[in-house]
Amino acid sequence: MPSQPAIQDRVQAKREVRRIKNLPTVPGIVAKISRMVENPETSAAEVGRLISQDQVLSAKVLRMANSAFFGMSRKISSISQALVILGFEVVKGLVLTSSVFDMIQKSMAGLWEHSIGCAAASGAVATLLGRDDAEEILVAGLLHDLGKVVLALNLPEEMNLVREKVKNGKVLFYEAENEVLDFDHSELGQWLAEHWNLPESLAEPMRLHHRPEKAVLKPECTAIVHIADIIIRAKGFGNAGDLLVPPVSMAAWEMLGLRKTDFLPILDILEPKLSSLCDITSID
Amino acid sequence: MKRIPIDKAVPGQVLAEKLTRHDGVLLAGQGSAITEGLLRMLARMNIDSVVIEEEESRSVEEVLEDFRRFTQDLDARFVRIEPQSVLQALKKTMLYLAEKDRDETLALINNPVSASEGSAEPPQGAAESVNA
Repeated sequence: MPSQPAIQDRVQAKREVRRIKNLPTVPGIVAKISRMVENPETSAAEVGRLISQDQVLSAKVLRMANSAFFGMSRKISSISQALVILGFEVVKGLVLTSSVFDMIQKSMAGLWEHSIGCAAASGAVATLLGRDDAEEILVAGLLHDLGKVVLALNLPEEMNLVREKVKNGKVLFYEAENEVLDFDHSELGQWLAEHWNLPESLAEPMRLHHRPEKAVLKPECTAIVHIADIIIRAKGFGNAGDLLVPPVSMAAWEMLGLRKTDFLPILDILEPKLSSLCDITSID
Repeated sequence: MKRIPIDKAVPGQVLAEKLTRHDGVLLAGQGSAITEGLLRMLARMNIDSVVIEEEESRSVEEVLEDFRRFTQDLDARFVRIEPQSVLQALKKTMLYLAEKDRDETLALINNPVSASEGSAEPPQGAAESVNA
């Protein structure tokens, strides 16, 4: 079997993964919120009060809640209002994003822009498909490449090798990761999602956005993030490590029931959002 | 659109947002052109900035050069997927939008007044000329 990596290689790869000792800890506030909601008696107001205690974090979350992402006609002025309007999972996703924002920005130039672009594109595809969970899918798009952040922060030398391989413009980032490390950012994303106890609507797109046909728990959400990743790369917005448009999973495409003529309305929804999202890029 | 200080504003620029006095009274509507009179009034009221529509600062040659560079980058991004018809459709759509944008920009440079008046709808036949 030529494609089967030798057992020794796999063992070596596992060792590489173990070298990533400082897997970032789940942001304290996210862990607290998760614990709170495990208790069915917790009210939205209580969760809102917890988040509101951190004023910087609240400001960041409200800025995202009021951004072109969600296109709200009225201003969301408090966390508890955001919880009511956007729902609990979305606000939790925004809290998580705000907490890891610095990490994403420091790890790789252009990755934050790629992330918000993919989020907006996920929202646009979900909107076109008439999904009522468009906001949650958007947050999945926002966090889909978190594995790359962990890699960049923990294995800088290997990441330089990956960058060298990608430079010729013919190799995708995850292919180069697999060549150098024998695993890629999507597997690390899975690990991180487990470690942080993230919901499947975030975990599965993180793990399977390059192989959406394998998704079982959130197949549609994963498929939408897969298509959104392709659309935002086609636009050349941000930088996901390479500048190539990856192949589309036909199984995912067909499952969503998308047509080729849908690209125009999707891009029409996306375009005005992207230009105004430059504002959130400058969050500090 | 962009916000500029009042001393950089000149007659003929188009307001991208309505202009109100500090107490909320409307001074000039969105889409109206700045006049000498309006500028004098703003100076008296201590209004120090206005939001105007951005003008096209590129020349025809620069717009064409930007478009050429865009298509080059687009080809490079899609180098891997030639056989996939879905992705070819995506590439075609990206190209169509860029051509439309190029043609609208060129129209704005050649005829600034009529182009800004009809901003909501592209002129008839724009789609055909894009595909030609």
